[in-house]
Amino acid sequence: MADIRPSGYSKHRKKQTYTRRLGTRATPMQVLMSERIGGMGALIVIIAALPLLLANNYQYDVAITIGINAIVVVGLNLLIGYAGQISLGHAGFFALGAYASAILTARYGLHGALAMPLGALGVGLLAYIIARPILRLSGHYLAMATLGVGVIINIVISREAWLTGGPDGMYVPPLEVWGVELYGGPIWYWIVAAFLVLAVWISLNIIDSPVGRALRGLHGAEVAAEVAGVDTTRYKVMVFVISAVMASVAGSLAAHFSEFVTPEKASFFHSILFVTMVVFGGMASTFGAVVGAAVLTLLPQLLADFASYEHMILGLIMMAVMIFMPRGLVPTLTGLARRRGARR
Amino acid sequence: MSLLRVENLSIQFGGVQAIQELDFEISEGTIHSIIGPNGAGKTTLFNLITGLYRPSAGAIYLDDAQIAGKRPHDLARMGLSRTFQNLRIMMNMTAIENVMVGRHLHLNRNLLACMLRLPMITRADKAARKRCIELMDLVGLGGAIDADASALPYGALKRLEIARALASEPRLLLLDEPAAGLNARETKEIDDVIATVARAGVTVVLVEHDMKLVMGISDHILVLDHGRKLAEGTPDAVRNNPAVVAAYLGQV
Repeated sequence: MADIRPSGYSKHRKKQTYTRRLGTRATPMQVLMSERIGGMGALIVIIAALPLLLANNYQYDVAITIGINAIVVVGLNLLIGYAGQISLGHAGFFALGAYASAILTARYGLHGALAMPLGALGVGLLAYIIARPILRLSGHYLAMATLGVGVIINIVISREAWLTGGPDGMYVPPLEVWGVELYGGPIWYWIVAAFLVLAVWISLNIIDSPVGRALRGLHGAEVAAEVAGVDTTRYKVMVFVISAVMASVAGSLAAHFSEFVTPEKASFFHSILFVTMVVFGGMASTFGAVVGAAVLTLLPQLLADFASYEHMILGLIMMAVMIFMPRGLVPTLTGLARRRGARR
Repeated sequence: MSLLRVENLSIQFGGVQAIQELDFEISEGTIHSIIGPNGAGKTTLFNLITGLYRPSAGAIYLDDAQIAGKRPHDLARMGLSRTFQNLRIMMNMTAIENVMVGRHLHLNRNLLACMLRLPMITRADKAARKRCIELMDLVGLGGAIDADASALPYGALKRLEIARALASEPRLLLLDEPAAGLNARETKEIDDVIATVARAGVTVVLVEHDMKLVMGISDHILVLDHGRKLAEGTPDAVRNNPAVVAAYLGQV
């Protein structure tokens, strides 16, 4: 799990030397195949069309959970997939966002739309303070340190019952906009969808910018990036904070949507689930993160009929995908499609 | 006036004195080679100058500013750039993206602007790409611009390192064995690139084993042996120095 392959670097990769010089325009097909336009378009179409297939509240619940997980995973992918740093504690930031919204609205009467950014700000600050010392570490040591962060957050939430309700969790007031309570699947579907599209857009923008190249550069060759003028420490801290803030926002959404929060949200297994979604969908692929979140949220639901075999089948599917698609679902499939297209 | 001045520089690893009380100067606009047998401390010296190592003693001055112990990215800002003997290529990126990382300091790195993809970001990126293509043309990689770095052969990666180092528009460029592992034709091409770069006013420091390349291109040569200065001077002076001959061929 902690083994982070350099993204896009694989012995399976076919040698491809194609040139696009300045002045030659991209063909319409290339534009459609590009992540930014083609991918964003596909995502928006799918999100817009999906409600046609959603028949009941349960299905809306699943779709919304996918969206919330996807927001976390898109952020975590910036950290893991692009910058090459691991975190096994991001469920902690997710839970802190959820509890910030819960506590600020339920105990202090703040409006939810204010509690969310305040929570995100607090989590961002905490992530910043934590990041400086622990991002000196790398590999297994960084995994251990971030694991510790998540565990501590989980313990604090469970123990400080006067504030958090302890292991039983606490109730979160519904979000209200202009006197209207936001309640029910259809409304939350669109709220979460909007946040997800925003997260994906921001992620794509970062990656395709000097900041994104610095992040990918320090992943690929840290010393070379440093010598090229990239303050690698600063960029690692920056991406850690960005991913923590995105997790926090997703946590706030989850809190208001389900109107209940429990310390479970900060559990180690929740952190592992997020990391698995990144790797499964495909590291260093923003849409891979969305697909990873979707598949791994949906699969357990689809396998529920197998009762006691559910976890075994889930495990087998995950092993099969990682063995046959070591780069993750989306990079493998797009690579395949591109090679098909090139052959024609 | 000298661009780089090293005074009484020493570093030890455990009990090993990798560089011992070294003094030398590099004047602006010259090509300066550092040669010596394997293990003489050449790469260690590069690592000291570019901030990867902290010296145990001594000082390094760039334009009379003490730079020993400063971090590499700060030194990059001051106009230092280098390549690596063992390639440090970002294999997860395309060739031109590698070069564009070298352009980092010349681009707007404001996070918010990048997150929102403001027009000034895309405009600057377009200009940077154009500039980086020129650099790749210069080093002879014009045909591999959008290729994945991981798909390029060794010789191309050596040149990609030079293009990346040039992208930061350094005043002082340190090349660590740019011709190692290259055939005669490729070495000649590197030779031409170095000459072009020097003509553009960049001061070049070269660590190299290929004596033909070194003797042909250098204005000044520093010979290291066991971390100490063995000799210094013009190519002719160094070539005829008995101590240098002894170090390379063994005591006769």
